[in-house]
Amino acid sequence: MDELELLKQDWKKQDANLPNIKAKEIYPLLLKRSSSIVKWIFFISMAELALGIFLNIFLADQEFWEQVENIHLKTTTIIAYTLSYAISIFFIILFYKRYRAINVTDNASTLMKNILKTRKVVKYYIIYVLASSGILCFLVFIFTLLYAEQFSGIRNDINWFKAIAIGFIATIVFLLVLWGIYTLIYGLLLRKLKANYKEIKRLEI
Amino acid sequence: MTEKTEHNFVQLLEQNQNIVHKICRLYTNDQDAHNDLFQEITIQLWKAYPKFRGDAKFSTWMYRVALNTAITLYRKSKRKVKTQEFENVAFKIKAEEYDDTTEKQLSVMYSAIKELNDIDKALVFLYLEDKNYSEISDTLGITEVNARVKMNRVKKKLKSILNP
Repeated sequence: MDELELLKQDWKKQDANLPNIKAKEIYPLLLKRSSSIVKWIFFISMAELALGIFLNIFLADQEFWEQVENIHLKTTTIIAYTLSYAISIFFIILFYKRYRAINVTDNASTLMKNILKTRKVVKYYIIYVLASSGILCFLVFIFTLLYAEQFSGIRNDINWFKAIAIGFIATIVFLLVLWGIYTLIYGLLLRKLKANYKEIKRLEI
Repeated sequence: MTEKTEHNFVQLLEQNQNIVHKICRLYTNDQDAHNDLFQEITIQLWKAYPKFRGDAKFSTWMYRVALNTAITLYRKSKRKVKTQEFENVAFKIKAEEYDDTTEKQLSVMYSAIKELNDIDKALVFLYLEDKNYSEISDTLGITEVNARVKMNRVKKKLKSILNP
């Protein structure tokens, strides 16, 4: 006899000794909050989008604008800000659309694919935020050396090659650290999902 | 959602709770984790209930949501992620140590299934629940042919474990 058929017969017998939860015990469960992976991705993503916007709005006070004017970067900053608002809104819409596409009643493969796609949108957003902040930081660094009053005394003695190299390396190191933390957060969250997605894709080969 | 909807849902879940318990048994290793997964599946079923159209059987719809929760959405898993292929699973019981009794055979098969990765486990689970290959492929999102090939490999492996 087929071993699995044997198992199938036995499998049906377990119904008798399974726990039996009464209706009145089910009602309170409906009020509990989900701790699903999608919820976590949603909250973390919201925090990331909010952080990007927060950095744009609240760090740009009067003093900031005076400083960028002093180092001849006001027009560049205004353009960069307008662009970044537009891009942030674009990402928020995209994220919302992707998030809405996650449907627990889809088949397992589609569900996993949609969750990973949603996360990818946020990943691209983070890459964009890090890259644009990096470029802006680097520009501010160079223009500060070029135009800021406090450097007027030493400006002629600066080794420009060395200064640019230091600015560049510092920016890259800072961005890499942020990227590492970011990857770690999602790596832990998505480890199981990624393994299962890989497995289901392997069945398709 | 109205009280009536809530009442209907709870009734349906109460009647079909065995499906959820069996999935919880398969995917968790202790009672706490079992209860935790049961709770998460209940929440996901309740959240998805407005999308449930009466044209499908409640239990069929439940398999999909419950398995999706266990495989994909459930985060708190105490055990390590397993990506073992059925063919590579190591069994602790040596050939000469076990006899032929059905009980022993079943126990070996159950422990073999427990060791499977999440996807293979879902495949075997649906098979044991008497689902046909069309339903299995529909639930997991793989082709029917691939579901069949995979199940045949599992069968062969079980045979070789029991008849070394």
